[in-house]
Amino acid sequence: MSGVRERNASAWLLPAEGSRSDHRLRDDMRRFDDSDEVDLAIVGCGAGGGTLLQRLARRGWRVVALDAGPFWDPEADWVSDEGGSHHLYWTEPRVISGSDPVPLGSNNSGRGVGGSMVHFAGYTPRFHPSDFRTWTNDGVGADWPISYDDLRPYYRDIEEELPVAGDYWPWGDPHGYPQRPHPVGGNGEVFLRGALKLGILAKVGPVGISNGRFGNRAHCIYRGFCLQGCKVNAKASPLITHVPDALAHGAEVRPNSMVTRIHIDERSGRATGVEYVRGGISHVQRARAVAVAGYSIETPRLLLLSTSRRFPAGLCNDFDLVGRYLMVQGAPQTAGRFPAEIRMYKAPPPEVSSEQFYETDPAKPYKRGFSVQTVSPLPITWAEHVCAQGYWGQALRAYLRDYVHWTCTGALCEFLPQPENRVTLSDERDRNGLRVAHFAYSQCDNDRQLMAAAQDVMERLQRAAGAEEVITIKRYAHLVGGARMAADERHGVVDADGRAFAVPNLYITDGSILPTQGSANPALTIMALAARIADRMADHARAG
Amino acid sequence: MSEADATPGRSRNERFPGFNVLAQTGAWDDVTVGVVMKRIGMPPDVRFFTPTEEAAARALFDQLLDQREEPRVPIVNMVDARLAEQETDGWHYDDMPEDGQVWRDTLAALDADAMAAHALPFAACGRREQAALLQSILSLGSGAWHGLNAERVWSLWTRYACTAFYSHPWAWNEIGFPGPAYPRGYKHAGVNAREPFEVRDRRPDDDPAARRR
Repeated sequence: MSGVRERNASAWLLPAEGSRSDHRLRDDMRRFDDSDEVDLAIVGCGAGGGTLLQRLARRGWRVVALDAGPFWDPEADWVSDEGGSHHLYWTEPRVISGSDPVPLGSNNSGRGVGGSMVHFAGYTPRFHPSDFRTWTNDGVGADWPISYDDLRPYYRDIEEELPVAGDYWPWGDPHGYPQRPHPVGGNGEVFLRGALKLGILAKVGPVGISNGRFGNRAHCIYRGFCLQGCKVNAKASPLITHVPDALAHGAEVRPNSMVTRIHIDERSGRATGVEYVRGGISHVQRARAVAVAGYSIETPRLLLLSTSRRFPAGLCNDFDLVGRYLMVQGAPQTAGRFPAEIRMYKAPPPEVSSEQFYETDPAKPYKRGFSVQTVSPLPITWAEHVCAQGYWGQALRAYLRDYVHWTCTGALCEFLPQPENRVTLSDERDRNGLRVAHFAYSQCDNDRQLMAAAQDVMERLQRAAGAEEVITIKRYAHLVGGARMAADERHGVVDADGRAFAVPNLYITDGSILPTQGSANPALTIMALAARIADRMADHARAG
Repeated sequence: MSEADATPGRSRNERFPGFNVLAQTGAWDDVTVGVVMKRIGMPPDVRFFTPTEEAAARALFDQLLDQREEPRVPIVNMVDARLAEQETDGWHYDDMPEDGQVWRDTLAALDADAMAAHALPFAACGRREQAALLQSILSLGSGAWHGLNAERVWSLWTRYACTAFYSHPWAWNEIGFPGPAYPRGYKHAGVNAREPFEVRDRRPDDDPAARRR
C-alpha cells in the first residue's frame, strides 16, 4: 500500500491524538466567492461527491462541494447511542407510494459531509462482472455502457484508501483485500457455523473498517455502533477518507448549503452555476461545470426542479428518463434464537457474508440473485423486528428481554430496474418552498421470488447453526438509479463518463447513475465510479 | 440498585439481576452522557397532544409496552416532544397525512371505537377492553381502519413507542444491553463471551417462543 499516501493522504492529515477532526484544515480551508467562476461545483459531499472533490483537487482544479447538511465533527456531533442519532438522516419531507412503498429517512438516506456512508454499516463488496451486462446475459435489467474491467483499477484504489479488510474474495472477479479480516463476534460465529453445516461458502468481510491503525486513524474498538456514525474514525466515510486530502489541495466544502437549482445559459445550453440557500439567504455559485451527487432521490428532484425554457420538463429530461429506474434492494432479515448468549451488539454489524447465490442459477425460475450478510440490530431496531411479527405488550417485552440470545442475518436481493419506480415532484413543498420528492415503488414477480428464496436460505442457515426459533421480516436497503447511465440519450440521462447527454458540462457522479445494482452494497461502487469519472473529466478538460 | 432494580416499574430484574447500565457512565464520552442522561431527568411537558389525545396516548402506550406500574418510562412525553419538534423521519405515505396528523386522527379514532363499544373514552376502558380493541385493529392487517391502512397505523404506533422505550437505560437493564460503548469498546465478543461489567442471563431457557410452544 505504499502508493496510498501519495495518492490520498487523508488518513495522515487527521490529528493523531485527541480530537478526531481536522479542525485546522477546516479553519484554513480555501473559500471561494460566489462570483468566482470555479472549475467545478459539486452538489453533495457523500460517496460520489466527496471522492470526486478529492480527485479533482489533486489535479489542481478549483472545486467546491456544497452540502445541504453539517460538516460533522464526530467527537462533538455523534453519540454512541441509537435513539440519539436521528440527526444523521435526511428527514426533509417526502412522499412515498406504489404497491410496495419504501420508507426513507432512517435507514437509507444520509445527510451532511460524508453522506450516507456516515451511517452505512460498512460492507464494501465489489459488483460482479455479470452486473454490467444483465440484459445480454439474462434478458433482464440493463447493460451498462462500461464493463467491469473499466472499474477494476478504481475498485483497487478505493479499497486501499478506505481501507477494506476481509478474506480473499472468491466470487465475481476473485481478489484479495489490503487488510486481513477482522475477528468475528457471536453473530459472525453463528453465521460461519450454519454456513459450514449447509455447505454454503461464507467469508469474513469485506468491510471499510480499518483492522489496525491506518495513518492517524485508530483501530476499530468493536463497539457495534457503526450505523450511528463512527466516533472512532475506524469506519470509512468520505468525511475522513477523502475530504481531508481535498482540503489540503485547495478544495472548499461549503456545508449547510442546500442547492435548489442548476442554472443554465438558455443560449448555449450549458450549466453556469448552482443556486443554493444558506442561512435563509439565496446565493448563486458560478461554475464552469457542475456535478450532481445528491443521491437517488435528491439528484432527480434537483434536475426536475431545474426547469428552464430549454428544459421545461426538468433538466436533462428530454426523454422523460429523469427519476426513473430507481432501485432498492429487497432486504429480508432473519433472526434466530440460541440457548447460548450471542450479544450481537458487540463487534461491527457487518462481519460475515456469502455471495454464493449472487449469480443467475439456471435451475431457478428467477433471474439474478442475492447475497447474505450478518446484520446486528441494536435494541430499537430489534424491537421493530419483533413488532413486525405482530408481538406487542407482554410478548414484545419478553422477546426484548431475550435480546442477548438472538442472531440476525440480512439478505440483499437484486430488485430489477423498472421505469415506473421513480421520483416525481409532489405538490407538497418544503420549507424552502420547493416541491418535495414523490417516490413510487412496486415490486415485480422476479423481485418477490428472490425475497422468498433469500428468506429460505437464511432460515435454513440459522437452523443449521442450531437456532430454536427463526423469525423473518421484510424490509429494504439502499437506493440506486434514478438518473442512469446508458449508451445513448434514449436510454439514460448520462453517458459512460457520467456526462449528461443534454448538457455537456453537467455531470452526475453518485449512485443514481447505476443501471443495475447487483446484490452488493453500493458504496464502494459509487466511489469507484466517481474516481473514474474524475479521470474522464480531466481528459475532457484537456481536450477542451 | 440493591433494593430495587432500575427497571421500568421497578420490577425485579430476574434475567439480569443487579445489572445497571448507569453505573458505567464514567466509561462514556461526554456528548453521549448528555444525550442519555436527559432521558433520566424530568421529562418535557406535553405540548403537542391535547389533553384528550394525551389521555388516549397514555393508555395506548401502556398497552403497547405493557407498562403497569410507576415509575414508567415516560413514553407519552417522549413521543410528544418528538412531534412538537417535528422530529419525524420526514416521509409519509401518499394516502396518509404526515405523522403528527396521523397521531391526532388515530387517537381520536381509538376514542371513537371505545365510545361505540363501551360508551367510554379509550383511557377509561378496562385494560382487557383496551387490549381487545387494539388486537382487533392489528387483526385488520392492511385493511382499512377509519379510512387508514391499519397495518401502517400499527407500525407507526409501535415505531414511536419502541424508539422511546428502548432508548431508556431502565429498558436496557431489563434486556442486558450495556448501552453506550465509546470510548471503551468491547474486548470480549463471541458466543457466551462477556465483559466484566455485563451480567449473565440467569434464565437462558426463558425463551418467549418456547413458552408459547
